[in-house]
Amino acid sequence: MSEAAPVPDEELAARAAAGDHDAFDILVRRHTARMYRVALRITGSSAEAEDVVQEAWLSAWRALPGFRFESAVSTWLYRVTTNGALGVVRRRKPTVPLDEGDAGVVPGPEGYVVSAEQVGTVLRAIAELDVGQRIPLILREFEGLTYDEVAEVLEVSVPALRARLHRARVALLAKLGDNFRPGER
Amino acid sequence: MSEDPRDDPRWQQVRAAASRPVPTPPGLVERVLRSVSGVRGGHTTAPLDLPSSGGKTQVSERALVLMTRSLAAEIGRELGGVHVSAVALEEDVLQVLVTIRFGVEAAVAELLRHRVSAALTGQLGSAPPTINVHVVDVHPD
Repeated sequence: MSEAAPVPDEELAARAAAGDHDAFDILVRRHTARMYRVALRITGSSAEAEDVVQEAWLSAWRALPGFRFESAVSTWLYRVTTNGALGVVRRRKPTVPLDEGDAGVVPGPEGYVVSAEQVGTVLRAIAELDVGQRIPLILREFEGLTYDEVAEVLEVSVPALRARLHRARVALLAKLGDNFRPGER
Repeated sequence: MSEDPRDDPRWQQVRAAASRPVPTPPGLVERVLRSVSGVRGGHTTAPLDLPSSGGKTQVSERALVLMTRSLAAEIGRELGGVHVSAVALEEDVLQVLVTIRFGVEAAVAELLRHRVSAALTGQLGSAPPTINVHVVDVHPD
């Protein structure tokens, strides 16, 4: 007997909007890790990222009855999380603790190519970018969203997004330029 | 500059950084579920009756939990290093779960409890239910 396919997000969201608490809980279990990762990479703070995720889910729960299914549930959740993280970043002074490079990230298969210190350098450089550049960069390069998806999350046109991403990549390389030597191990 | 920055050799380091997994904090999903459960209620269906000098104030569990969460988060920010993880009403007692920054004295929990209670009293116009503050984790930043 084959394993049942996972229930699609859209079906769970529809059931949750109709009052099915279990369906909403499945969405929480399915998407929290991703939302936390995005929030952490935007805010650079694990505590703030957790705040963002908590608030995002509460917002999602309250907004769900009005969700029109014009975008994918995952895209909508990315948007809620991104907006929450953006609010946190804008409320504080431009100093970024960024604990991700020290404690929040563990080595992955490809990650062993570079040292944790070098990864930390990259993450700190990203954290120094203006949030208008940082967020699309994180969604595209770190989360692997398509241009269309990132544009939908940020509610901008794809050409505008491409231009912003190009500037973000150039800015990131410029920041890495002073601190990074390729091939260093 | 028309070259694609991703062709720069340094970009491999960005890819490597992106490939590193980010672990979810232990218990985060459960804390989220508890928060959601707290605001959607279910423990009590009837609104709470809060006695006041001129009569009584009725407030739903959802409204009370959301109000408490909002006030606790704001007061936590003012105190510094205190983050609200979850709020729930259990057996007519408000349970506030917080994480505190390393170095912040745990006594801040008592201060938070007092201030949240006072703020709720101000908003509701009557004494809120008992509030318990639990420090559930310490974070490094």
